[in-house]
Amino acid sequence: MQKSLIAVSSITYAMKAKKLLNNMGLYCEIQRTPKNLGSGCGYSIRVRDDLRYIFSILDKENITHKAYQNLPE
Amino acid sequence: MIYFDNSATTFPKPKSVFDRADYAARYLGGNPGRSGHKMSVRVADEVYKVREKIAGFFNAKPENVVFTLNCTHAVNFAMKGIMQNGGHIIISSLEHNAVSRPAFALMSSQRNISVSVAKVSESREKTISNFRSLIRQDTKCVCMMAASNVTGEILPFNEIARICKKRGICFILDAAQAAGIIDIKLGDGINFICCAGHKGLYGLSGTGVLISDGKYSLNTIIEGGTGATSLELKQTDFLPEQLESGTINVPGIISLGAGIDFIRKIGIDKIKRKEDMLCDMFVSQVERLDNFTVIRDNRKEYAPLVSFSYKKANSFEVTDYLSKRGFALRGGYHCSALAHTTLGTKEDGLIRFSPSVFNNQSEVRKLITELKKVNNIGI
Repeated sequence: MQKSLIAVSSITYAMKAKKLLNNMGLYCEIQRTPKNLGSGCGYSIRVRDDLRYIFSILDKENITHKAYQNLPE
Repeated sequence: MIYFDNSATTFPKPKSVFDRADYAARYLGGNPGRSGHKMSVRVADEVYKVREKIAGFFNAKPENVVFTLNCTHAVNFAMKGIMQNGGHIIISSLEHNAVSRPAFALMSSQRNISVSVAKVSESREKTISNFRSLIRQDTKCVCMMAASNVTGEILPFNEIARICKKRGICFILDAAQAAGIIDIKLGDGINFICCAGHKGLYGLSGTGVLISDGKYSLNTIIEGGTGATSLELKQTDFLPEQLESGTINVPGIISLGAGIDFIRKIGIDKIKRKEDMLCDMFVSQVERLDNFTVIRDNRKEYAPLVSFSYKKANSFEVTDYLSKRGFALRGGYHCSALAHTTLGTKEDGLIRFSPSVFNNQSEVRKLITELKKVNNIGI
């Protein structure tokens, strides 16, 4: 499954997203946002499910996602 | 020393609170939300768990739980954040300086801000009416305490919050003396709850929370590093980081989580029942002593604290004497200029008895015995 990295607003929102997705049985880990994905210090979530599905879950909980990128297999 | 000054800060704390604070200080190294390494993320995870606990306790979303240093900071963030563009604010006549001083400071520093003080009357209906009659076209905010730190009186905050909701006015609740004693929830007009973490919630000193329902965005009064949007000169504009500039108090926050667990395990109702019982026992005995006057009114509801006075000496002299005899009670003015003006106790202040769930009847009896000695032979 393709892994993706989604930049979120802050560590709090990264934590919120991780708890939410993990509770749904979905993979989610937290990491620092790489330079090419964000503007300064920030946090991202690493996911491996369909991005449209992930975004729909995040949107429902008002977890703002700023940018994303697919990670190498 | 027998400690009856729990309205100032609870002591002792539950063992689990000490244990978790010790654990956090020893093992939760790393700065949450800053560095991104495993230690940092682990601490952030523990901090987030406490946000979730507090959110559950007050019916909020975790991201709307802001950690502060104390209740005063929380009130300042909320009130000044709401009032920065001017308007009218209403507070009660029993407010702690945590509410009255920021309100009057705003009024003296900004021409477009005015403050009204609503009298807390002998009946809840009259108090509600007093608040309602002060609402104006430009009233932007009502900020009031849930329970008085001087008399313990529980104010009709739910009713006033509902009026504010109907009129589109922001309602800020100072729950310093009520959280952990009365079940307080966001919603139904309450937009912000400000709490001390170290009183009825049993966390360590240096902890407080501001809880928002997310309806109102706040302007900041402190700006700085938040671990988010670091390359922007503009302050982070979303909660909780917006209001958490600088490194947060991790051991304190973790201790607060343990405090919430402790309250949930025992139950708010049970805690209040026990403290009420100790207060009732105290009141019934002190009322029988000739030279003591208890500040209680049978028609009113009270949080578990009791203030009283002694005819032959001022409150400082009495509490100094009691301290020498092994009892910790607070005399004086309790940081409440408005309350003591309203009560007419500016001359001698009041003596405050405030038990916690850890006090017992035997300790109250010992204090009563000491007060009887004072009554019979003086200080």
